Amino acid sequence: MTSVHGTFDRRAFFGGIAGSLGRVALASLLPGLSGCASSPREGASPSAQDRARRGPQFAPRARRVVCLFQSGGMSHVDLFCDKPAIRDHAGEELPPSVRGTQRVTGMTSGQASFPVVPPLEKGRRCGESGLWISDLLPHLQGVADDLCLLQSLHTEAINHDPGITLFNTGNQLPGYASMGSWISYGLGSENSDLPAFLALVSQGSGKNPGQPIFSRLWGNGFLPASHQGVGLRPGRNPVLFLDDPAGLSRAQRRAQLDDLAALNARHAERSGDPETIARIAAYELAFRMQTAVPELVDTRGESAWTLSSYGPDVQRPGSYAANCLLARRLLERGVRFVQLFHRGWDQHVALSRQLPNQCRDVDQASAALLRDLKQRGLLDDTLVVFATEFGRTTFSQGKLGDPSSGRDHHGRCFTIALAGGGVRGGVEYGATDDFAYNIVRDGVHVRDLHATLLHLLGLDHEALTFPFRGLDARLTGVEAARVVHEILV
Amino acid sequence: MLLRPGWRTLAVCAALAAEVRTQALASRHWAFVPPRQAPVPSVLGEPGLAPIDAFVRARLAAEGLAPSPAADRATLMRRVSLDLVGLPPHADEVLAFVADDSPDAYERLVERLLASPHHAERLALPWLDAARYADTNGFSIDGGRHAWLWRDWVIHAFQTNLPYDRFLVEQLAGDLLPDADDATRTATGFSRNAMITHEGGTIAAENLVNYGVDRTKTFGEAMLGLTLGCAQCHDHKFDPITQRDYYGLFAYFDQTSEPSHGGDGGVNAPPVANVKSVLVTGEEDALRARIADLQARLDAPDPGAIETWEGEQRRRLAARGTDLGLHRATPETIITPNTGSGFAIVDSRFAVVERPMSGLAFDVAMTLPETASPITGLRVVMHPSPDAPAAGWGWGGGKDGKKTFALTHLSLSAGPVRSDQVDLQSLLAIARVTASCWDETDDGRQRPEGVLDTLASTGWMPELAADGPVHLTVTFEAPLPFDARHLTAQLHFGRGGELTARRMEFFAITGADDGSELPPAIEALLRRGGDPDGTRRTAEEQRSVALYFARRAPAMADLRVDLANAQERLAVRTQSFPTMVMDVAAQARPTHVLHRGLYDAPRELVTAATPGALPPFPADAPANRLGLARWVTMPGHPLTARVAVNRVWQMLFGTGLVKTAADFGAQGEAPSHQDLLDWLAVDFVEHGWDLRRLLRQIVTSATYRQDSFASAEALARDPGNRLLARGARFRLPAELVRDQALATSGLLVPWIGGPSVNPYTPGDPWREISHFGSTGATAQSFVQDHGEKLWRRSLYTYWKRTLPPPDLALFDAPNRETSCVERAATNTPLQALVLLNDVTFVEAARAFAQRILHRDGDDRARLAWAFLEATSRTPGADEVDLLARALARERAAFAADPSAAARLLMHGESPRDEALPVIEHAAWAQIAATLLNLSETVMRS
Repeated sequence: MTSVHGTFDRRAFFGGIAGSLGRVALASLLPGLSGCASSPREGASPSAQDRARRGPQFAPRARRVVCLFQSGGMSHVDLFCDKPAIRDHAGEELPPSVRGTQRVTGMTSGQASFPVVPPLEKGRRCGESGLWISDLLPHLQGVADDLCLLQSLHTEAINHDPGITLFNTGNQLPGYASMGSWISYGLGSENSDLPAFLALVSQGSGKNPGQPIFSRLWGNGFLPASHQGVGLRPGRNPVLFLDDPAGLSRAQRRAQLDDLAALNARHAERSGDPETIARIAAYELAFRMQTAVPELVDTRGESAWTLSSYGPDVQRPGSYAANCLLARRLLERGVRFVQLFHRGWDQHVALSRQLPNQCRDVDQASAALLRDLKQRGLLDDTLVVFATEFGRTTFSQGKLGDPSSGRDHHGRCFTIALAGGGVRGGVEYGATDDFAYNIVRDGVHVRDLHATLLHLLGLDHEALTFPFRGLDARLTGVEAARVVHEILV
Repeated sequence: MLLRPGWRTLAVCAALAAEVRTQALASRHWAFVPPRQAPVPSVLGEPGLAPIDAFVRARLAAEGLAPSPAADRATLMRRVSLDLVGLPPHADEVLAFVADDSPDAYERLVERLLASPHHAERLALPWLDAARYADTNGFSIDGGRHAWLWRDWVIHAFQTNLPYDRFLVEQLAGDLLPDADDATRTATGFSRNAMITHEGGTIAAENLVNYGVDRTKTFGEAMLGLTLGCAQCHDHKFDPITQRDYYGLFAYFDQTSEPSHGGDGGVNAPPVANVKSVLVTGEEDALRARIADLQARLDAPDPGAIETWEGEQRRRLAARGTDLGLHRATPETIITPNTGSGFAIVDSRFAVVERPMSGLAFDVAMTLPETASPITGLRVVMHPSPDAPAAGWGWGGGKDGKKTFALTHLSLSAGPVRSDQVDLQSLLAIARVTASCWDETDDGRQRPEGVLDTLASTGWMPELAADGPVHLTVTFEAPLPFDARHLTAQLHFGRGGELTARRMEFFAITGADDGSELPPAIEALLRRGGDPDGTRRTAEEQRSVALYFARRAPAMADLRVDLANAQERLAVRTQSFPTMVMDVAAQARPTHVLHRGLYDAPRELVTAATPGALPPFPADAPANRLGLARWVTMPGHPLTARVAVNRVWQMLFGTGLVKTAADFGAQGEAPSHQDLLDWLAVDFVEHGWDLRRLLRQIVTSATYRQDSFASAEALARDPGNRLLARGARFRLPAELVRDQALATSGLLVPWIGGPSVNPYTPGDPWREISHFGSTGATAQSFVQDHGEKLWRRSLYTYWKRTLPPPDLALFDAPNRETSCVERAATNTPLQALVLLNDVTFVEAARAFAQRILHRDGDDRARLAWAFLEATSRTPGADEVDLLARALARERAAFAADPSAAARLLMHGESPRDEALPVIEHAAWAQIAATLLNLSETVMRS
């Protein structure tokens, strides 16, 4: 981006324009202008000193993040919990002492019976660490020693919209900035030809269509729009409006941008307008993005071995596997935050059919991404977050054994996995009761995860703030949040 | 401030909070003290200054700064036009104004702009943000709603210069006024703009709390300039608002009969009123005349055009069925999102829906048979069900026991690997759709090609009288590659009413489809008409061919769109439509303080009351929204007028006198000129809350009229121009960037008010994130409009909250999920891509070029005019030189590749003047694009 504020970046500016206009001529325009190129209306309007303080506040463990978000509520009960009691009591009522008085959604609150459903498949203890993972995820079983399983995530949200909004923006209600925006705001980009934050969406083969998702999940909220996540879409036009209009050659566009730069520079000189200088730079970056993005999404240069490691779906643009490969290509280009959303994990119905499909969608590609990053030496400073908005109930939604039955939402505890980027591999943190229903030890709230994630990036979650609605707003919100130091290397 | 220690956070400052609150009360934060007019300062050597200028200059003098000279007249005209109307002046208007040396020329210009009906559209924009106006429900599935009548009300209020106090009263409590009428009830839609949900799993009490929270927050930020949200969970840490105060305000908004779940199926959640638009546009007679004219042209199509079409139809009829081969496909799986049972693959042959279902999509994955020649299409056969009464094909509708279906959308994808669900990223392009029979109604909504769009209102329904199996056949744009052995069809039965098919069979076809788009009667007439020996058609038969041509032929599509748009427009002007309003529930709802803001942690009961630290509630006012409205518009209220004046100032200067326009509390920024703000606020109230007068006062001030030139010294001294030593300069708001391009290109359709429209958007971004195929909610799939609706002003663009119009969002338009009174004005590469490549702007450049070419004069004269038209500035000779060189270069480029020129000119649906030479037009379109992309063009200075 032009800068972390999307306004003006001296280096990008000279890099792009020098060839067209001449460094000296432009340099003469800059003194006195560059310090205030930020628009006066921009909420932050940081002074030059503030911007100089951008970047990590202490030594980061991770330089970039990829979040593989399993949208809809991935079943911790089926995939990551080795609980003999659940198998032993299959079909019996979930003991009221376990179920307690916690609220359930409007979908099961009317049920008279809450029978325990055993995990759909067997699982095994994997690798040297012995982490238990379901046989529905055979490839992830193979990378268990790189994973840190957080067994005790929890959230107050029990429905998708508030749940997924909380996970991605730190608040159940709309209006807040997404994780990636915060990180773009805090750290800026390491690639001057690509945005700092990209979002990729895929549709799963479990529930189709999956629960709706929202642009607020990668939105800038109250942060400047330059920190918006940019959607990277499959197909010929991966970024909206990227392609020149049909009928126009690149040479024509280049010449046109030179014209624009010359006219704008003249105007900037006469009007004393720093924003116009910044706009020249923005157009140059746009031009470079038009080359950088197609190069990014052109995976023909990937080896056959790499492609096959991600599984056959990698050949299908827009699939989760294809997006995982793109994520690696983005990360190795220094993109700060890559967010995947894979829809379809909402197994209220037909869990026995939908869940294996969902797992097949993501298992091989997620493991391949981890291995690929590792092999390229990127995993050490890339944090991989394999997460979801909540888990699913141990009890059945619908009649036990009915092919139409499934599991309802469960926010009281659920499992996510972290890898790389300063997190210990092959460990498990937090514990739930025998029915994977309540946390018994070391609960991790979603905001604790946010604090930990920022910490790994060298950012203090209490100090990364933005003034909004009378408060110094932060990703972790107003409640106390804790960095989970126990899982850090 | 970015990296500040987190001392202002809840955890740390509990103890601090009470102290701060006490201090705030004790020291009486400025914004809680009613404004008083300080004497207008006299500035040495500048007698007779208007108050605004006197306050500003006194401050400048104190700072040792001098004001800037007045902007040149062209710049000033552009500035005030964009500020007051939101559209730039045309070149001839600029020249006339510059040449007008009468002393009151500027004042007359201001009056003309204030009198423009489009002035109200400009004023409406920031209010739509503040009131979080949108066309969808927001939460979860984000289905569509109808709220545009409220937007019409806002425009009308500004058009008629409704006093601002009344503007607020009607929106807060228009239903409770003694003289309540449809218009004032419509105004209460302000509070109904809140997001709602119909998601089944959500908890009723929690939803109702969320709705009330949003109303309270919006009231606070839009009207009081206070961030009340903090006090939802605890006493406000910095402002004298306790949690109890918060729920006291909350209680005013907690008394409506609005349900906890609602808004599904595109039907507004109650309470709803059926009302007419309050706008008076006087266009009804012209519309009726236009409708009559369009109808007449459709009634009497050009015989030559009919003949051409008939020839084409006969060629198609002759070619139909050539080498047709039908090859049964083997269905493997069938799935639907919301249930796991009730459907099956039977005998590896049929996909069967086993029980009545409504409004769902089914994905059927099938293996295609080996064929000697390439597969050119797919046939879907719907069989009568042997066990169904009267041998119907479906589960709903029909009559006499015979049930039928409506296939509202069909999506297909194919490839070498089987996929249970259709791949939205690689949908097969479909060239033609035919069916064995259909119900040929006047509106054509049951015709087979209705499966191509995602609308539930159009789709294939067989003629109920038909017997036996019925089928629909699609022909692909291109035959399938030989390795595409697997095809997935998504069949959407989206109309509801259980209009779902029961028993489906699929065939790959090779060769040409033997079906026709023509109903049998028309087909017979065409066959006869083409036969020289056939019987001549009777006049009546000829009329039915002409009528069919008018209704269905592609050649008449533009006329049909224009007619439909004109008819809808007339209906919008003359008929009643539903809109969401406020009411008072029959049963009073108790409001509790909610512990930590949690819906399920109610504490003590509260009654509706205003915060204790603010002025007392009027003794004679009722304890309801009407009382609240009276309270907030009391002449001595310390906040309301200041907040309003500040927002107007922000619109005209880019930054308010209080920069934090949503927060006048202790955490907000202190005003840059409190004396001026207070003087204006008191003056505003004393003169009847007259917005137009306030606007006039400001835009005729010397402060507003200053040149915006900023020297390096000035920038260093006051980068944000808070001292107002120069004119304001800022990038245009998103909507104005697009509106300006439409205006400059001549495409703008100046219709005011009415339902929202869907102009160009790349692809169907909604469907990628929505619940299409799984719900009766509307707005799950984007369907582009045509004709006039493509070129309306941007405040009429359909606002889907979970995915607002991408071109506008990139220019900082908020998503309207919550109230927003301050927009950012960023400057990003993605904005450059919009202006360079978005079809909206590529088309605008083409249309602008057409306007240029329609002017007499040589290249240089045209360039100078075009520059003036785009920027309101006469270009320097060096600028014309540069553009002239660019023009020569573009001419040469397109001359070398005329087909490229033709392709460039094909963007957008507006007609092109075919008399203009292609190369010349394309070259000028490039010049026009450059002008529309100038920084000067997207800024206002």
